[in-house]
Amino acid sequence: MVEPVLDVQDLSVEYEAGAGTFHALTGVSVRLDPGRVVGIVGETGSGKSTLAHAIPRLLPEPPARIVSGKISFRGVDVLDLPKWKLPLLRGTGIGMIFQEPINSLNPAYRIFDQVAEAVAVRKLRDAGESPTLFPAPEPHDYSKGMVVKSGEALLHPIATKLPGRRRRARREALMQDVLDYLRLVRINDPETILDLYPHELSGGMRQRIMIAMALSAKPSLLIADEPTSALDITIQAQVLTLMKELMEEVQTSILFISHDLGIIAEMADEVGVLYAGHLVEFGPVEEVFANPRHPYTKLLLRSVPAQYKDDGPLPALSGSVPSLANVPPGCPFHPRCPLMRDACKTNPGPLLEPVKGISARTHLSACYYSDEVARKA
Amino acid sequence: MGRNKSDLIVFVGKRLLQLLPVVLGVIVITFFFTHVAVQNPCAVWAGAHATADQVQACILRFGLNRPLTDQFWRYLTTLLSGDWGANPRGGVPVLLSISSAFPATLELVLASLFIMTVIGIPLGVVAANGAGRWADHLVRVFYLSGWATPTYLGAVVLAIAVGPAIGLPTKGDFTTKPPFYGPTHMSVLDALWALDFPAVGDALLHLVLPASALALLNLGIATRMTRTSMLEVLPLDFVKTARMKGLSDFVVLYKHALRNSLISTVTILGITAGVLLSGTVVIETIFQWPGIGAYAYDAITGYNFPGTIAVVIVFAVAVVISNLLSDVLYGILDPRVEWR
Amino acid sequence: MASATDSELGVDATPWTLLRGKASHLREILRPFIRVLRANPLTLIGFILVVIISTTALLVAIVPVISQVVLGHPVLLTPYDPNGISTDYSQAPSLKHLLGTDKLGLDIFSRVLAALPLDLAIGVGIAGFALLLGGGLGLVAGYWDKPRTLGGVISAVILRVTDVFLAFPSLVLALAIAASLGRGTGPSILAVLLTWWPYYVRLTRGEVLAVKHRPYVVAARAAGVSEVRILFRHVLRNLIEPLLVYYTLDIGTVIITFSTISFVGIGVPLDVSEWGTMVEAYEQLLLTHPWTVLAPGAAIFITVLAFSLFGDGLRDILDPRSRRTLVQAVAATTLPGQVAGAAEA
Repeated sequence: MVEPVLDVQDLSVEYEAGAGTFHALTGVSVRLDPGRVVGIVGETGSGKSTLAHAIPRLLPEPPARIVSGKISFRGVDVLDLPKWKLPLLRGTGIGMIFQEPINSLNPAYRIFDQVAEAVAVRKLRDAGESPTLFPAPEPHDYSKGMVVKSGEALLHPIATKLPGRRRRARREALMQDVLDYLRLVRINDPETILDLYPHELSGGMRQRIMIAMALSAKPSLLIADEPTSALDITIQAQVLTLMKELMEEVQTSILFISHDLGIIAEMADEVGVLYAGHLVEFGPVEEVFANPRHPYTKLLLRSVPAQYKDDGPLPALSGSVPSLANVPPGCPFHPRCPLMRDACKTNPGPLLEPVKGISARTHLSACYYSDEVARKA
Repeated sequence: MGRNKSDLIVFVGKRLLQLLPVVLGVIVITFFFTHVAVQNPCAVWAGAHATADQVQACILRFGLNRPLTDQFWRYLTTLLSGDWGANPRGGVPVLLSISSAFPATLELVLASLFIMTVIGIPLGVVAANGAGRWADHLVRVFYLSGWATPTYLGAVVLAIAVGPAIGLPTKGDFTTKPPFYGPTHMSVLDALWALDFPAVGDALLHLVLPASALALLNLGIATRMTRTSMLEVLPLDFVKTARMKGLSDFVVLYKHALRNSLISTVTILGITAGVLLSGTVVIETIFQWPGIGAYAYDAITGYNFPGTIAVVIVFAVAVVISNLLSDVLYGILDPRVEWR
Repeated sequence: MASATDSELGVDATPWTLLRGKASHLREILRPFIRVLRANPLTLIGFILVVIISTTALLVAIVPVISQVVLGHPVLLTPYDPNGISTDYSQAPSLKHLLGTDKLGLDIFSRVLAALPLDLAIGVGIAGFALLLGGGLGLVAGYWDKPRTLGGVISAVILRVTDVFLAFPSLVLALAIAASLGRGTGPSILAVLLTWWPYYVRLTRGEVLAVKHRPYVVAARAAGVSEVRILFRHVLRNLIEPLLVYYTLDIGTVIITFSTISFVGIGVPLDVSEWGTMVEAYEQLLLTHPWTVLAPGAAIFITVLAFSLFGDGLRDILDPRSRRTLVQAVAATTLPGQVAGAAEA
C-alpha cells in the first residue's frame, strides 16, 4: 500500500460566532495518494472551503476550532505543529490556489516580485539555508534539470527593494526560474509582464500567475479552492485545460474543490461529496457519477442541466441546505431525502462504509440504504 | 490621466492652483475677524499709558479710521508686493519672524510625525493581529487615553513634572549656543551642518519632550487607522496567498498586509498635519520652543494683526500642502491610482 | 434563542407570559448591542461612564433651579460653593475636601463638579450645532450638485467656503476669533461654533455621494420613486449611522478644544469654573499641590475617554461597513455564508 500524501481522519471543525456554534465539518475523512487528484464537491455552505483551509492550518482560530480528528501530511501531524512551524508546512509542502485571482495577488507588488518570492522561499529551503520540515527532493519533483546553486539562495526573500547591486543580483538569480514558471503556465512572452501590477492583467492571466506561483514552490500537495469559479466561462475552459495539462506534467497531488460537478468529473480521479459538513459519498469519479450510492449525490447529479432531457421542468432539490448552526440530528440529509426512514432521524449514517453489493471497496457511502439508492429514488 | 511623471506634474500643478482661492478666503476671514471684532486695537498698540492723542495718532497711522474695504485693499496690495507688514507693537517685520520660526516648527512636527510612525503603526499592527484579545484591548486603551488627554495637560505634566524628574531639557532655548545658526534654521540639521556633534545631541535632547508631547497625544490617530485598515486587509486572499508561499508571520504582516494598510494610514497622517499644527500653538508656548506656534500665540493675544494673518496663511498653506503630499504618497503606495 | 412559544402567547396567555413575550422581543432588538457590549468590555465601560457623567451633569445643573422654585432657595449638589472662599487654604485631599483645596481655600471637587454641566453642554451643543449646520450643507452639496443648475452653483459655493475653513487648523482660527472678541465664555463658545462645522460638510457630502450612486437608489429612481422619498428613505437613512458615530466621538474633541482656549487664557474667565481654566490657573502648582491640576485634568480625561470608548463601540454596532470588518476579523471569510449572515444579522 502506498503511503498517502494527505490523510485526513475524522476531522471536525466548528466556528464559534456570537449567535451560536456552527458545525462546519463533522467527521470528514479524505485520503489522497501521490499523484492523484481528489475532487471535493458540495453546495455553498457545505464546508468545502473550510476543509481546504483547515489542511494547511489557514483557518483563523478563534473563531474556528478544530474539535477532533487528525490531519497527516507526508507523515507530519499537521494539527500538532506549533504556530511558528506552520510556514514550513506551506509553500514547499502544501500550495494553494484561491477562488478570486483579483484578490489573491497583492495589489501593491509587481508580478516579478510576487513570483520571485515563492521561488526564493523554495530555493532557500532546497539549499538548506532556511529550515524545512521535509527532506529535499520532494517525491514528485518535476523540475529535473533546475539546479540550485547555494550562493544564489542567500538573497533573502523579505526585501524586494534592496538597494542597487544586491537588488539586481537578486533579480538575476531568480529571473530564470520566474520566467520558466511563467512559461510553464503558457504565458508566451513572460518578459513583458514582469514589471506590471496585478490590476493591469486580465483575470485569466492573474489565475495563471497564481498557478505559476503555487507550482514554483514545488509543493507535494496543491489545494485548488474553486480556482475557476470567478472566471468567465471561456477563460474558465482555458485555465482548466491548462491545469489538466499541468497535472500530467508536474504529477503533483491535487485536492480540487468545486461546486461544479462537470469540472470535478473532468479533473478528478476520486471524488468526495460534502453535505452540511458531512462527507456523504467518496469513490472513484466514474463510479460515483455513473452509479451514485447516496440519495444526495443522486439528486445532485440529476439537477445538472446537462443531464436534463426535455421532459418537464428541470428537477431541483427540494428544501435547502441546513444551516450549519443546527444540522439535523441523525443523517443530515434526512429532511430532504425521498428514502427517509425513521431510523435516519436519530441514527447518524454509517461513517462511509463500502457500498453494499459492489465488490470494489473504494466506493464509500454514508447511507444505510446505499443498495436501495441504486434501484430507486 | 495615467501614472507618468508628466501626469503627476499636472496633478500637483492643478492642486497648487486650487490653493490660491483658499489662501484668499483665509485672508478675508482672518482680516474680517481681526479688524471688525477688535474694538480699538490702538489702545493696546500704543501702550497702556498712551495719551488720547497718541492713540489718535496710532489710529491715523494704521488707517483704522478708513472704510474696511480700503484697509483690506491696502493690506492686500502690500502683501502681494512682498511686504507682509510688521508687528504694530515694536515694528518687527512679520516675514523675518516667520521665516526663522517656521523651520523650528517644521522640525518639531517632523520629529513627532516620526515618533507617531515608528510607535503608532507597529502598535496598530499588533492590535489588529490580536484583534479581540488582551493586546488589542491594551493598545486601544493606550491610544484612546492619548486621544482623551488634552494636549496642554500632557505638555504641562511633561514639562513641569516628568522633564525635571528624568533630567531632560524642558525648554527650547538653547542656552549654551546660538539656537539656530545654520542654513536650515532647524536645530538638529544646523548642528549636523556645522559638524558639531555635541550640539546635535543637545538639539535632539531638546526635541525629545516637546516632540513626544505632540506625538503621544496624536499617536492614537496613526494606531487606530493602522488597526482598522489592517483588520480590513488581513482576511483578504492575498494575505492567505502570502502565508501559503511559506513566508513567516512577520513577512506576511509587515511586507504584505501592512504595505496595503499603509495606503489609508498615510492619508490620515496627512490630515493629521492640521491637528499637529494646532498642537504646536500650545506645545511651543509651554516648552518655549521658538516656532511658529508660539509666534501665533503671541500674535493672536497681542493684537498683532499682520502677524496673525501671516501666521494663518502659513498654517493654511501648510495644511493644504501636507494634504497634497499625502495624496501623492497615496498614489505612490497604491499602483492602481491614476493622477487626476 | 428564548423566543416565546405558541402556548405562551396564545392558549394560556397570562399577563406574565405576555410580558415575557414582549421582553424577549425587546431582547431580539437589543441583541446586537448586547453582543457587542459583551464582546467588547471597553464599550460597556464607556457606555456606563457616559450615562453616569450625563446624569450627574444634568442633576448638578437642574437641582438648584428646581429647588429654587420649589423650596425658594437653591440646593447645590456640590459640597461647597465652587466660588466660596474659605480658610482651608491649600489642603491636600481628605474626607472633608475630597480633592483638596487651592490657595484661596476653594474646594477643588466642588469646582470640578460645577464645571461639568458647562463643559458637557458645550461639547454636546457645539458638536450638535456643527452636526446640523454642516450636515445640512453637506446634504445640499452632495445631493443637488448637478452642474449648471442653481443647486450646482450653491453646492460649488458651499464647497469652496468649506475648503477655506478646512484649511485652517480649527484651533488657530478659534483662538484668533476668541482673542478678537475678548475674553469671556460667550465669545469662546462662538469661536468654536464658527470653526467646527466644516468637517461635517465634507463627511456628509462624501456619504451622500456614495449612497446616491448605489444600485438600489438608481433602481428606486428608475422605478419612479419621488426625489423627496429617496432623500428620506435611502439617503438620510444611510447618513444617520456614520454621522451619529462621528458626533459621539466629536463631543470629546470639542470639550478638549474649548478647554484649550480657556487654558491659553483667552477663553472662560478665571472666576468661572471650567476645567481648562482650572488647569491654567493651577499649572504652576503641579509639583507642590498636584491635586489642583490633576483633578480637572482627570475630569476632562475621563469625560473624553468615556465618549471615545462609547463612540468607538457605537461604530461597531451601527456602521455596517466596520461591522462587517469586525465580523471578518472575528470570523474569517472562509465562514460559510450562513455564519457570516447570522453574525451580521
